[in-house]
Amino acid sequence: MRAILAIAKKDLRLMFRDKGDVFFTFALPALMAVLFGFVFGGGGGGSKIKLALVNESDAPIAARIADDLASDPSFKVDRMETRDAAVAAVRSGKAAAAVMLPASMQQGVDSMLSGGGMSIDVVVDPSRRAEAGLVQGKLNELAFRQFPRIMADQAQMKRMFDGMRRSIESSKELTPGQKLAGGALATAGEAFSRTIAQGSGAAEGSGADKAAAPGFSPVRVAFEELPKREGGPRSSFDVSIPIGIVWGIAGCVGAFAASLVVERTRGTLARLRLAPITRAHLLAGKGLACFFTAMVVQALLILLAVIGFGSSIMQPGMLAVACVFAAFAFTGLAMLIAGLCKTEAEANGAGRGAILVLALIGGGTIPLFFMPPVLETLSYTSPFRWAVMAIEGPFWRDLPFSEQLVPLLVLFSLGLGGFLLGARLGALREAR
Amino acid sequence: MCFPVGCAARPRGDCGRYPTEPVLVLRDIRKAFGSTVAVDGLSLEVRAGEVFGLLGPNGAGKSTTIAIATGLLVPDTGSVDLLGLGSPTDARVRMHLGLAPQEITLYGELTARENLMFLADLYGLASAKARVDELLALVELDTRAADRTAGFSGGMKRRLNLAAALVHDPQLVLLDEPTAGVDPQSRNRILELVRTLAARGKTILYTTHYMEEAAKICDRVGIVDHGRMLDVGSVAELIARHGGDSAVTVERDGAEERVVTADPVAEVARQFASGGVTGVRIDRPDLESVFLALTGRSLRE
Repeated sequence: MRAILAIAKKDLRLMFRDKGDVFFTFALPALMAVLFGFVFGGGGGGSKIKLALVNESDAPIAARIADDLASDPSFKVDRMETRDAAVAAVRSGKAAAAVMLPASMQQGVDSMLSGGGMSIDVVVDPSRRAEAGLVQGKLNELAFRQFPRIMADQAQMKRMFDGMRRSIESSKELTPGQKLAGGALATAGEAFSRTIAQGSGAAEGSGADKAAAPGFSPVRVAFEELPKREGGPRSSFDVSIPIGIVWGIAGCVGAFAASLVVERTRGTLARLRLAPITRAHLLAGKGLACFFTAMVVQALLILLAVIGFGSSIMQPGMLAVACVFAAFAFTGLAMLIAGLCKTEAEANGAGRGAILVLALIGGGTIPLFFMPPVLETLSYTSPFRWAVMAIEGPFWRDLPFSEQLVPLLVLFSLGLGGFLLGARLGALREAR
Repeated sequence: MCFPVGCAARPRGDCGRYPTEPVLVLRDIRKAFGSTVAVDGLSLEVRAGEVFGLLGPNGAGKSTTIAIATGLLVPDTGSVDLLGLGSPTDARVRMHLGLAPQEITLYGELTARENLMFLADLYGLASAKARVDELLALVELDTRAADRTAGFSGGMKRRLNLAAALVHDPQLVLLDEPTAGVDPQSRNRILELVRTLAARGKTILYTTHYMEEAAKICDRVGIVDHGRMLDVGSVAELIARHGGDSAVTVERDGAEERVVTADPVAEVARQFASGGVTGVRIDRPDLESVFLALTGRSLRE
């Protein structure tokens, strides 16, 4: 046991003195976890889309749209005086889009029933199409949200129906009969709008705000969110921490696979083999160092999630078990890569490259539940996927034990297989 | 069998009760890598307390022989016996030998002390710290004990590499080209170290392609080429068997005359007696002459 501990201690000492290994095993995974956490929606408003807003209209509806935009949690609105300033903000990247509420907005609303309509001008950055799409959707939503208010505003409705009557009377295309029918329709519509205003308790011409709340709505949609614990992660860091763990383990596997190859190529392995220890002692010592580092990486990242970002662990005991199985699996993978690689260059190039690819397809960049079907299927070939599944189960998914068993068994099999195969390949290589 | 460890300052070739007992015996060893035969029927015996030199050019099979002697490689045919205990492929037998390989087998990111302490832990030494201190002093690196070895000079690394072979105080020490790539000053320090070890009773198997080193420190030398042992004996015996006669070069009236003779002293006396001699040089045969006679080519080729 003393020899095993001596080898493990030596390997850990070497690893912690290699700045590159420390960065890739500890610093990079923490950075990735934090970065992805913010990208997936955490981080106190960091994900808001920045808008430059210019209100050129003195119409109440323009003011309401401007206020609605400003209070929308999706946007961070910067009000500007001129269109040029707003467009310049988009061009310089300070805003994803410039939204202009034109001076003619009131006329547009007034002529809504006679061929006109409300218009909003938007200038977007072509390189930020995704955000532009969201802005467009949100503006449509806000515009439609004004309709109940418009319909509940008696004065506004009167202006709209007056405009409609004038348009019908001045039309040269309509027959007298059609004009008569149109006028009757306008009168009926105006009468209907009065009943809506009265129903909402709003006085005629008293503005839309009081009427807006319980007023007319063509469709009422009952919207309710699922309880978060059952439906998904409680915070984006619940998702990003397993990603960080993937990268941490990848760094750890790369470092220890390379260390075993380096022992072989630099001759220190010969010195170790001369000592009164068996091959099993040697591999156990090296494996212990890898296992220990993988456990430390996982523990640090989980602590970061709990202390730094307020995550709470659903099943702490099972999470510890999952971490042990993941560390065991990747220790086996490190042994296998060390057995497959002949030279240091192979271990540091092809070996680390293979780990990188496995990490990428196994959930190192995209959370498993965001993956498109093809990638999701492909990800089953990566041990990293099984590690993420094993960790997510007790971390935030709160899965029953029966559902956590398969990933744990797969990880155990991978670890054992990798260890045995790697040891055999290594022995064959040393015998040559 | 008695092989006292560290019996200090005893006479060379006299280790306890069995001064000529073989420590390492290789019998008819053959090892091939594919179609390349590295060792071809080589046999040798290293006796207790002696410094045995394995002299041959690069590629002669010296390092493969060392690897087989340590149990790191298994021969295709033939047998190895260490201290009468059996093959060094057995870990219990192997722990009686120490190896300083041709490569520097140290961890550059560990300090000199950490490198040796690691090996002491591997061998389970009880008084590891005291032993490491002793070795650091022996190889004159005690003042650099806390420095990482990556920053050491070639000579310092070589000395520490040698110290690493001695951590567990083995009876047999195998030094594979221990002076390769070091400056003359460091080479002298390493040779001095080998002499010190020999004086302390260690049995040493020393491979080199420098005949001067073999002549300086080895009690017996085996000449190896193409994986075969061509002859074994003390330097004097080898020269007597294969070196041929000495050459006496006499300078007279600005001209040189070269005379090959078995008795150079008598020849010099005869030349002086005949008068007019302005200069004399005697070229005695050396290991280079032996190698040339045995292989038909120079050791340095």
